[in-house]
Amino acid sequence: MAEEGHALAALALAFAPLSLLSFGGGGAVVAEIAHQAVTVHGWTRPDEFADLFAISRAAPGPGTMLSALIGWRVAGWAGALIAAAALYLPSSLLVYAIGRLWGRWRGSAWHAAVERGLAPLAAGLILSGGIAILRIAAGGPALWAAAAVSAALLLRWPRLNPLALFVVSGALFGLAAQWG
Amino acid sequence: MSGKAPTPHGNVPCARRARGHSGAAAPGSRAAVRAARGGEGAAEERRAVPLAAIFVAFLRLGLMSFGGATEGWVYRDIVERRRWLDDREFTAGVALSRVMPGSGGVNLTVHVGRLLRGGAGALFAASGLLLGPLLVIIALAMLYARIAGHPVVHAVLAGAAAAAVGLTLATAVKLAWRGERSVGAVAVILATALAVGVLRWPMVPVILGLAPVSIGLARLRAKRRGGDG
Repeated sequence: MAEEGHALAALALAFAPLSLLSFGGGGAVVAEIAHQAVTVHGWTRPDEFADLFAISRAAPGPGTMLSALIGWRVAGWAGALIAAAALYLPSSLLVYAIGRLWGRWRGSAWHAAVERGLAPLAAGLILSGGIAILRIAAGGPALWAAAAVSAALLLRWPRLNPLALFVVSGALFGLAAQWG
Repeated sequence: MSGKAPTPHGNVPCARRARGHSGAAAPGSRAAVRAARGGEGAAEERRAVPLAAIFVAFLRLGLMSFGGATEGWVYRDIVERRRWLDDREFTAGVALSRVMPGSGGVNLTVHVGRLLRGGAGALFAASGLLLGPLLVIIALAMLYARIAGHPVVHAVLAGAAAAAVGLTLATAVKLAWRGERSVGAVAVILATALAVGVLRWPMVPVILGLAPVSIGLARLRAKRRGGDG
């Protein structure tokens, strides 16, 4: 029991600082998660870590859920919860506090100007988010084409359910891999 | 779980509204406030969203967020379908959630939950978003020994992720189309996508560099139109 408590504390201490260091999104700290899990604490072997990383990319949700997977390997469900909380709580509290502070100036002229000025930046960032994922996926032009076609379909028919596109696209790529 | 919640915001609407009226942005009428999109009148109405509804909405979004598509889903579901937020609150939330450390999707969820129902809203939204993926990832880890290294499984996942990127791209195009279509705004969109997406410059300095330019341009446009902020 004491040993498990020790493991949970080690998980929390390893991941909580990364929460506030992950500027530019969770991808920024995956290397450091690997360093902590493999080199510092020996929670996983390097090849195991690569597997866990692949699993985290296949699952929905943020890529840093990888930390919960490591926590689960170390100390079961409690480990998963502690690792996820360590990685998400500090940054969430920060964004909560800053957002609240920001909301206080709602209604002033410069608040409106800032929000309007941020709108094109946000559109550009969302665009880059899509580009970044396609780059990491490294699946060649077929993936770019699938993304572009999906985007065009969703823009042309806004009521189309994107989940249907996920399924169709996944099936097409699966069939191509089977018989290609 | 309906009605006014004892959130940190529960007791401030008067002060907030008074400040709104003293500023240059809100000339009185509710219609004008709505027309300004993101006015405080609309914001107060939304406090009535039940916590259970917030939790369930984000539970769904979390499970559907493949391939970094959280922002696309939040826009589609929370802004377009449920109309809990407007475009401007959403884009401001995206910019904030990206510039702060942490996962952009989780940050946006905390921010949206807070706008909807204060601290409790943020907690319910974030736990909803994270619960599904947490269960799925551990289930996958249990299955992994059987599916590891299977090329077809890999191809299916890659194909689904590509379609998810399609949702992300469509969201960006929609936001660009519905927002200000001035030369300046389009230039900022392209510059951001070029710097962060194509050239892979670090995002935070790019945002900090472009934000003042974009905000200045927005302020100029507003002044030219007659100072509606």
